[in-house]
Amino acid sequence: MLRVKAGDVDRMGLLFERYHRRLFGFLYHMLGQAEASEDLVQTVFYRMLKYRHTYTAEGEFRTWMYHLARNVLADHVKKNRHSAHHTDVADWSEKIGGGVRADDILQREQEVATLHRALAHLSDDYREVLVLSRFQELKYEEIARVLNTTEGAVKVRVHRAMNELKTIYLRIEN
Amino acid sequence: MNCEHAKEQLIDYLNHELPAADRSAVAAHLEECTECRQELLALQRVWGMMSAMPVPEPSENVRPAFYAMLASYKEEIQAKPSSWATVWQWLQEVFTPQHALRLAYSLGLVGVGVAVGFWLNKQQLAQTPDNQQLVTLTKQVADMRQVMLLSLIDNPSATERLRAVSYTKELSNANPRVVEALLSTLNHDENVNVRLATLEALSQLAHEPAVRQGLVQSLAHQESPLVQSALADVMVQLQEKRSVKPLRRLLNDPALNEAVRGKIKESIQSLSNGQSVPTTSNKPYDETFHPTPADRNTNTAV
Repeated sequence: MLRVKAGDVDRMGLLFERYHRRLFGFLYHMLGQAEASEDLVQTVFYRMLKYRHTYTAEGEFRTWMYHLARNVLADHVKKNRHSAHHTDVADWSEKIGGGVRADDILQREQEVATLHRALAHLSDDYREVLVLSRFQELKYEEIARVLNTTEGAVKVRVHRAMNELKTIYLRIEN
Repeated sequence: MNCEHAKEQLIDYLNHELPAADRSAVAAHLEECTECRQELLALQRVWGMMSAMPVPEPSENVRPAFYAMLASYKEEIQAKPSSWATVWQWLQEVFTPQHALRLAYSLGLVGVGVAVGFWLNKQQLAQTPDNQQLVTLTKQVADMRQVMLLSLIDNPSATERLRAVSYTKELSNANPRVVEALLSTLNHDENVNVRLATLEALSQLAHEPAVRQGLVQSLAHQESPLVQSALADVMVQLQEKRSVKPLRRLLNDPALNEAVRGKIKESIQSLSNGQSVPTTSNKPYDETFHPTPADRNTNTAV
């Protein structure tokens, strides 16, 4: 990224190849909409180019990326306030499958769909820490840097979010 | 370790974020506590599912879209190598045909506004012709009065003729025809009152040489003592020297009223001395006559 900042814009391609899936995953889990998430991936990378001078070597690139992604996400949510987080369950069923028995597929589909709905019911703050820690596999320390908070606070939030998710999940399941 | 503390650690336990010492403490508590074990199982289930949750792949559109964006961005930053170029570009944008057209349109509108303003202003100025019109109208009314005078002055009724003469009062200057008509009336009208009124009207117009001359000549035509007397007064007022001769001729007329004779003598004297005597034109005619020695003297001198 430092080379991108220095003017070697082509290097951005490398970063894109390395990170765009992860970024897409984050946006997808946060939004629940594949198409919109793709558009936002684009927006995040555009902002990386535009605001490359704000990048400092001190922070890790990943942290910076999530920073930008959160801002883009916030803008997007603000713009589409009326359309609430909606889950595209059909998307999920397409991605699952291949060599598994029909019953298993059905059961897993249901479970995943339920979990997804439970995630959707979670507040944005809770969902965010879960997505970052569980799906993006960030350490608490990293999450704390992305959210501009302390590691302890992140830990507490993850803990509460997980309990909340579990409760919602069980309620939907039954 | 109590349950509450243990539950707080469960996530980290699952997440493998706990230091080894804490980890074994939690494990020890789980051995004893069924409730916490169940809690762990539930969490584990959800937790495990989350990791099993497939992360969808972004579609194939993302990559080409990104590279297209990157390429256009590169063009963008190359397109503005210096601030001068930016300024130049901005100027060019301002003066594109479309903008120029808009500018022309705006200027056109302003021009129309100015033109309308001028026109309205002119309209106001054009009201001065109204004043001219008023002058013209006044003149026309005056002319009308003169025509009225001319048409009425031959009226058989003395009252109408008097009215005709009265029209001249508001005339500052009369046309030759009116003067002629008035003089004719003065000389030939049968009614004394009409003649007196005419004389008065003419005296107002005495600044005109034709009127003066007419008045002087009129002396010879007058037979009424009243008119003779009034005429003599007018002559004195006007200091008309030419009237002395006709006045003297009047004195030779044996039929002349004695009172008038005295009056005329006075007038001649006044005119010869070049002094104005107090006007007596409005004094009622006095039939009584008291001849004075001076009068006689004057008479014999003539």
